[in-house]
Amino acid sequence: MERAAGGVSYQRFPRVRIRELKDDYAKFELRDTDASMANALRRVMIAEVPTVAIDLVEIEVNSSVLNDEFIAHRLGLIPLTSAAAMAMRFSRDCDACDGDGSCEYCSVEFHLAARATDSDQTLEVTSNDLRSTDPKKSCKGILIVKLRRGQELRLRAIARKGIGKDHAKWSPAATVTFMYEPEIRINEELMETLTLEEKRNLVESSPTKVFNIDPNTQQVVVEDAEAYTYDDEVIKKVDAMGKPGLIEINAKEDSFIFTVETTGAITAYELIMNAITVLRQKLDAVRLQDDDADLGELGAHLVGG
Amino acid sequence: MEHGTVEDSSASTFSIAEEEHTLANPARSVLNQDPRVAFCGYSIPHPADNKVNIRVQTTGDPAIDVFKDGLQDLIVMCQHVRGTFDNAVVDFRSKVPAQQMDIDSK
Repeated sequence: MERAAGGVSYQRFPRVRIRELKDDYAKFELRDTDASMANALRRVMIAEVPTVAIDLVEIEVNSSVLNDEFIAHRLGLIPLTSAAAMAMRFSRDCDACDGDGSCEYCSVEFHLAARATDSDQTLEVTSNDLRSTDPKKSCKGILIVKLRRGQELRLRAIARKGIGKDHAKWSPAATVTFMYEPEIRINEELMETLTLEEKRNLVESSPTKVFNIDPNTQQVVVEDAEAYTYDDEVIKKVDAMGKPGLIEINAKEDSFIFTVETTGAITAYELIMNAITVLRQKLDAVRLQDDDADLGELGAHLVGG
Repeated sequence: MEHGTVEDSSASTFSIAEEEHTLANPARSVLNQDPRVAFCGYSIPHPADNKVNIRVQTTGDPAIDVFKDGLQDLIVMCQHVRGTFDNAVVDFRSKVPAQQMDIDSK
């Protein structure tokens, strides 16, 4: 590994294998790294990958059964298609408009106008009724409010870029989890001493279907190691049977199985890629900090103190 | 960012504003892999303070250099995972056709 600064490197190079990848769901293995890296990735996906969400609502008319703030809150929670969010500006950093929603770099404006006509049919106002000046629009019909005959809802909403750390409505992640890959070892020699009944009891002792009995050989086999929830039930059972060491289960501390589900604001692929980009940006920001200026200030403080 | 002792450059505390476990924990773990590091740990002094303190003590090298090398390692690692993940996706896509989101399939 070469480095421009002439320093020394001790890092590892993780491997990735994808098991499943849909628009809103991904399952993959991350190997040859440690829990701190896996956890950083998980935390960034949940709280620091930017999306766009409605942040400011001006209500013109609201005669629905829900009050203004209730509707504003519901609007905020609607996942908006946020593929462009990474390239947008945070409105607090936006020089063009001071974040008042008048500029295309940091905000998207929506209008909603719905009125239930004089029929007995209840009108369902959904996210599809949000009309945007920009072609970016909400992805699917999410119910906002139901209107009875004669009721009306008219409003203007401004969507802004944000992150889940500031408010959960900006979090693109529905669930992000990782687990250690379990490594299950069966002591076959000791297993031979068990009767079929004992083997059945052993298999049954696990609350999830981790083990099974091979119908032909009548041996206990690992059916699905990843179904193991680290509940220790089989281990307790084995000890209770007086056969310690019959089954050993260890967590492989450098292999992780990630499950990623998004809200639909961005795809699972974008979520993972953006998370890595964001993490990198954070590291860059700290590394390239102008430390001399700060040291001067602190140095003066130390001398003074 | 600010850092501790001016006289002894081999031991410093880096105080990073607006960061938390997400950055500090991988930094700590990468620095502990480095044989030049005698001690490295981090703390968040108070949950209401939006900052994290990372302590680095080395066997002689300037702590700031070692710290920056550690961050550089993490950056390289991020780039590596990004590249690896992208390759894995291309690999996966070549085997499995893309599936659509089943949002309105009720």
